[in-house]
Amino acid sequence: MSLSDLLSTSFVQHAFYAVTAVALAAGAVGYFVVLRRQAFAAHAIGHVGFAGAAGAVLIGLSPIVGLLVFCLGAGLLIGIGGASLDESDAVVGVTLTAALGLGVLFISLYSGYANATYSILFGQILGVTWDDVGLVAALSLGVLLVVSLSYRPLLFASVDAQSAAARGLSIRAMSLLFMALLAITTVVAIQIVGVLLVFSLLVAPAAAAEVLTSRPLRATTLAMAIALGSAWVGLFLGVWIGGPVSFWITALAASSYLGARLFDRNRVRHVRRPLA
Amino acid sequence: MRDGGVVLGGRTIWRNATFAVEPATITAVLGPNASGKSTLLNLILGLVPLSGGSLRVFGEEPHRGNRRVGYMPQSRTADSTSTMTGRDYVGLGFDGPRFGWGRDKTKREVIRRALAVTGTTSFCDQPLHSLSGGQRQRIALAHATVFSPELLLLDEPLAALDLAAQAEIVDLINLIRDTTGAAVIVVAHDLNPLASIVNQVLWIARRQVRSGSVDEVVNESVLSELYGHPIEIIVTPRGRRVIVGLEEEFAHPHPHPHPQGFTHAEEPHEHLSEVYEEETS
Repeated sequence: MSLSDLLSTSFVQHAFYAVTAVALAAGAVGYFVVLRRQAFAAHAIGHVGFAGAAGAVLIGLSPIVGLLVFCLGAGLLIGIGGASLDESDAVVGVTLTAALGLGVLFISLYSGYANATYSILFGQILGVTWDDVGLVAALSLGVLLVVSLSYRPLLFASVDAQSAAARGLSIRAMSLLFMALLAITTVVAIQIVGVLLVFSLLVAPAAAAEVLTSRPLRATTLAMAIALGSAWVGLFLGVWIGGPVSFWITALAASSYLGARLFDRNRVRHVRRPLA
Repeated sequence: MRDGGVVLGGRTIWRNATFAVEPATITAVLGPNASGKSTLLNLILGLVPLSGGSLRVFGEEPHRGNRRVGYMPQSRTADSTSTMTGRDYVGLGFDGPRFGWGRDKTKREVIRRALAVTGTTSFCDQPLHSLSGGQRQRIALAHATVFSPELLLLDEPLAALDLAAQAEIVDLINLIRDTTGAAVIVVAHDLNPLASIVNQVLWIARRQVRSGSVDEVVNESVLSELYGHPIEIIVTPRGRRVIVGLEEEFAHPHPHPHPQGFTHAEEPHEHLSEVYEEETS
């Protein structure tokens, strides 16, 4: 089977649509994860999702249903418990540990766990069904729509909560909104890169973008572009060379962050602003 | 405010406060740490409820999102770590609370003016974390004054600034008051840098609030009564007040740039004017 034959197979095409939508959503939401320094929360939500997915498989449902329920639940819990960003670490840590323990229990109860567990942990984009792809794309586009509509308030509440509150924004509501967006994005990103590698789409592209530009809108767009580039090239390499797609995406996203840092170091050395 | 008081979490912060703030005046809010100075600002912003008495802001109940009130909080999450530019942060003062896609056409011009007034145009396109403390405070003032508020609330605008930067910010606050006619309320832990521009003082201590002119409030009898023990005030030849007897009030578990709180007597004054002239010329 030649490369062009491989690329035109239906499962690769489905994967292509899914990674496109997911990468765009993850890049946009990732910018706020980096801005709000809530990478730990993103990490925890993914792990909670693992328990949900394992539970759903155990009772015979699609893993994505369990992921949605558990991730949203965890997101809202973190949003309520740690609305003031300072105190969220402990809340996140406890949520994370409790959920992982639950996941271990579900897996031990389920006899044919190996395959399902592997795809939840490391992603199995070439194996998702057409129905799942439709759901993933719809969720991603929904996230993008909400992010674009609430872009300014999210940004305001993230960088200066006190002023934003004084200007009439509810910090708690914005925190909950963000956590819901993060939870849904995590669910869809898990479909592609899995629980353990969810940072590759959610954090690495946004972190690279934040190094490269100080304009929020530009950084968000750049994060989406880097995530999209990593996802497309990663999918292509996975099909062409072989190896898990999630490995390629992770490697590319991490390289983009490394590249951004190196580029920034060079740039800083050349144009250092004059001190006022 | 008439007979105002505030209770948070069952604890009375202060009560029986009566004062008025007039347009084009500057009111300094002074007092020990955790005496409820910032709480006063939060009351005016409608962020915490009044538990007794009455408070009117432009004749209305205080409510959040009032564009006639500008606010500069003490600690801004983004400041020291944010890669966001000053211009973007000031822009959030304009349409940060607004949902939706639309872009207001007047935004660019309004931002340009706020940046010009605060003298931040030259560095507003640099990321906030790369700016000096004084530059960041200027950007924050631009953010707070985007809508030319009639009442401007500043929470510790001079904290953690060196003397030259303090003098610059004081000058800028005075300029904003003069050009916009705004009433300004400044929370501070040291009266001296502000003394030349202040019209009214609110001193909060031991759950009480005293208001009046600088001389009416910052004198030995009023402060001694307020604190319940003898307070001495030494006025230096240059008119700075050194307050003696507050040391315990300022004993604080956290490191603080001015542990005595009320004097920089050890710093040569000439130095201030020299640096100041350099910076403004």
